[in-house]
Amino acid sequence: MTKTSEKIAEHRITEEPFYLPQCNELQIAEAAYRNGLPILLKGPTGCGKTRFMHYLAWNLARPLVTISCHDDLSTSDLVGRYLIKNGEAIWTDGPLTAAVRAGAICYLDEIVEARKDTTVVIHPLADDRRELPIEKTGELLTAPPEFMLAISYNPGYQSVLKDLKQSTRQRFVAMEFTYPPPDLEAKIIGKEAGIDQPTAHSLVKLAKMTRSLKDAGLQEGASTRLLIHAGKLIASGIQPRVACRATITETLTDDHELLAAIDEMASSIL
Amino acid sequence: MTRDAVKNRLHRLIGHDSLHFWDIEDHIDLLAALPEETREEVFRQIMAIWPVSYALCFAFLNQLAKGLNCLQIDQLAAWVNATLDVYENSGLQAASRFLAEVENNFACKLRGTPGLTLEEARGRLQPYLTGLAGYEIAISTGVAAYTDTTTIFLAPEISTFDAKEQNFLLYKLTTTIQWAFIANGLFRLSIPSDGPLLAPLPSKSKPGRAVENLRLLDFCALFPQPKLARDVLLLAETVRATAFLHRELPGLMRDFAPLCEQLNQLRPALSSLSGPDQFVEQLKQWVISGTRNGNWSRKEVDPGIFDLCHPASLTDPAASVRNSAAFTIAIYGELGRSHLDYRGTPPIPYAGVLKPRQAEQAGKKRREESKKLFIQALAAYLPESKSEVQKTLIPPAAQPPARQGEQEQTAVIPPGRKKESTDSPPPPDLLSPQTFITLDDEELQLPESLQPLLREIANDLGHIPPEYISSASQRAGHGRIKGSAGPSDEAETPTGTSAICYDEWDFRRSGFRKNWCTLLEKELQPATGTFIADTMHKYRGQLRRLRRQFEMMRSQQCFVKRQRDGDDIDLDAVIETHADLAAGLPVSERLYIRLLRDRRNINTIFLVDMSSSTEGWVLTAIKESLVLLCESLSMLGDQYAIYGFSGMKRSRSELYHIKHLDEPYNDTVRNRITAINPMDYTRMGPPIRHASNLLANRDATTKLLITLSDGKPEDYDDYKGDYAIEDTRHALIEAKNRGIHPFCITIDRHAHDYIAHMYGEVNYIVIDKVEKLPGRIPQIYRNLTA
Repeated sequence: MTKTSEKIAEHRITEEPFYLPQCNELQIAEAAYRNGLPILLKGPTGCGKTRFMHYLAWNLARPLVTISCHDDLSTSDLVGRYLIKNGEAIWTDGPLTAAVRAGAICYLDEIVEARKDTTVVIHPLADDRRELPIEKTGELLTAPPEFMLAISYNPGYQSVLKDLKQSTRQRFVAMEFTYPPPDLEAKIIGKEAGIDQPTAHSLVKLAKMTRSLKDAGLQEGASTRLLIHAGKLIASGIQPRVACRATITETLTDDHELLAAIDEMASSIL
Repeated sequence: MTRDAVKNRLHRLIGHDSLHFWDIEDHIDLLAALPEETREEVFRQIMAIWPVSYALCFAFLNQLAKGLNCLQIDQLAAWVNATLDVYENSGLQAASRFLAEVENNFACKLRGTPGLTLEEARGRLQPYLTGLAGYEIAISTGVAAYTDTTTIFLAPEISTFDAKEQNFLLYKLTTTIQWAFIANGLFRLSIPSDGPLLAPLPSKSKPGRAVENLRLLDFCALFPQPKLARDVLLLAETVRATAFLHRELPGLMRDFAPLCEQLNQLRPALSSLSGPDQFVEQLKQWVISGTRNGNWSRKEVDPGIFDLCHPASLTDPAASVRNSAAFTIAIYGELGRSHLDYRGTPPIPYAGVLKPRQAEQAGKKRREESKKLFIQALAAYLPESKSEVQKTLIPPAAQPPARQGEQEQTAVIPPGRKKESTDSPPPPDLLSPQTFITLDDEELQLPESLQPLLREIANDLGHIPPEYISSASQRAGHGRIKGSAGPSDEAETPTGTSAICYDEWDFRRSGFRKNWCTLLEKELQPATGTFIADTMHKYRGQLRRLRRQFEMMRSQQCFVKRQRDGDDIDLDAVIETHADLAAGLPVSERLYIRLLRDRRNINTIFLVDMSSSTEGWVLTAIKESLVLLCESLSMLGDQYAIYGFSGMKRSRSELYHIKHLDEPYNDTVRNRITAINPMDYTRMGPPIRHASNLLANRDATTKLLITLSDGKPEDYDDYKGDYAIEDTRHALIEAKNRGIHPFCITIDRHAHDYIAHMYGEVNYIVIDKVEKLPGRIPQIYRNLTA
């Protein structure tokens, strides 16, 4: 067990992450934490969900175990499995079990990417039982009060297959994340990328334009994360239009006409 | 070739009935004199044009000599193709003109002149404009640039500059400026008729009747020479819009700056003009120079004019369209003293012209449309219980409204604007905050779907009229449409039919006929009968076997042993390793067992030929096979759709809905299968293109398009023979390019050689005995997807 807690200690966040609250999300999350409720973050990619989790973990002084879900993620990837070591079968905790034991925050990123039967293992943890039955060892692990479960997903991908089941989502305190309001977003970009406010504002303006193309060909507009990338390149001396081309235009689409149109937007603004 | 040989050849090509020899008499000499190779090419082109339009074909023959003068033989096809495009877009007259001016319209382009057509630029411009405006503004062609607030009209071609990129820049600036006119409120001009602004005008020009507020159209009509007033007002607005763009889109203005000089060099010389023409032209040149850096200096213009203009009053961020109106009145007053008529010089290319009447009409139409949409969408969104309550829409930061006693209880204020903003709307903020709706004391955020509409209305009127909300609140609860409440939900749309246009491939010109076919999606009235039960009984043995076969295909999950990692320990492997270890052999690391899931993610569309030729046994067999297929597929859980197709002529290609992709297989679907009946003809292109569209939007790893037909595609018009085969072939190739696997099942006694060409080597199967079909189709499906 000491090994588990050592491992978990690596997940402790030692420096305060940069995060500007958009609204009252921190208060809600802290209240949920005090009441032992799991949280669900939804919102488009790159709008600050993961950063918020870091900030929350730092505020609560708990380690943060992040699991990026994918469609091959199995229950034993989460809970743990027996491994053969020196001819012996030794139980090894999965990240979820480890987080429960250590009273950490377990954050399942992009939960809808995981298969539905995998998602079900978090159900007993996510309601008032707060326990994790480990089938293979016969252990019933009860979560300490410090443990918190958080999941995130992007409702933007409107696909029947990629939807969260009601039985899962109705266990969570849900918080919607959107792109920050323009001034705040410019502040965030300025701070993260180290660029001046006028440039940051121009990037936000460009993002706004791409976001209004959302139903006109783009799956999603430029996220705050992309803007920060653009800002970072600009701060390193790359010419602004080139930086936008590399970080924003090309990442958003492969369609030639849309590429050209976004280029035109960038060259108008910068 | 002799005259007679040419004549005979033409008769053969075109057919006797439709050709009178005197129509072509003049051309026969020309054709006869041509070298063999050229003549053959001309005949080929005639074959491309003739089916489209006889008249156009004669126009082509009329201009042929001219065309051959400046074109190579191998350019002839491209010329004809371009002509046909013009014909399909703008009609016979435009196409004839296009033919007549072969040098200007076509030959110069082949030589690679830097001109840029709007069609070339549109792909880039349209999304750019949508992104800029935040809602959809259309782009269309017009003689000079102007906007009617819903559409921006641009010249069909720009060849002002020497490089394509520069010409594109002019398109881009024109589009942006026209948008800025809309966004900065030019078309929302509203002046109190008794206000001080109009005082300098001579009293006789003021409206006799009491008009409360003058709108743009009324304002221009105040002046004895409305054209002069419009031009001056547009110049003032151009200054204002340019200053706005220098603030908001500095990159664009920086790029364009070097071109201003060149634009001014193209202007008419001032010395050649007199009176108001000279004056306004001087203003225009001054406006263009100022566009360069956003600074309209005294240097560039007559000091007297400069003092009149006060450019600072226009470039100020707080300037409104009223400042431009004041500018117009001042300049007009100065010019009114001259008794010369104003004829006007060519407009500034990017500013274009002002057409208040068009704007008024389009605005009215759009206001009605958006009002309807907005009320509908908001009504669907408002909770029913709140429908009786007064509603006020305010920006989040604003004070709660005083609800009692005030006249404007239901006033609605869009983001970033105060109520009085109709008087002096501040320049639009590209980053306006979201709008909230306050119901009583509760603050509700408007759904995202309403935001663009709200923005559009606010842009249009400067505010949201209270009756929009009150109508919505009255309709709340009643107006709710089941399902989503998006503005796309049109309760009035008749269900079952919607028309979509598709291009059609014309192999003779190696190009598309644009928007050539109209596809109508129709509902098939379900019919009851014993057909389903009979079929199930007839094939009961086969059905049981099929079901079992399909069941076996269902998510074949299995454990794979001896993996490097996995969910569980593979005991066999561990024991073996122990034995190996004891024996001193190298041991394996593959000790785990993993569950492998085969997730089927297949979307299939079945297109069923419902043409009259299938009548009888073939259609019955098709129907029976559909039943067997559906029964078998219900074991599998793959998503599939079934559509029947038929139709007559290009204007009525019909697609009958039997089962959509997301629809479950139920009694209604069974009854629709029963209702399948022979209809008209087989035009295969449009249904294939439509089905490809449907599939292309799906999120499946495997997409299948299976067509069931009984032979050659054929329609009542010229859709037959090679033309039909080539169009079908092309539609299938398009589908393949979009990641769809097309497969065609043909019921025919003989496997004709065209079939392999039409469907592609391995993508078809010919079934020669109809009675084999029902058993084969599920089998084919199984083979395709396994």
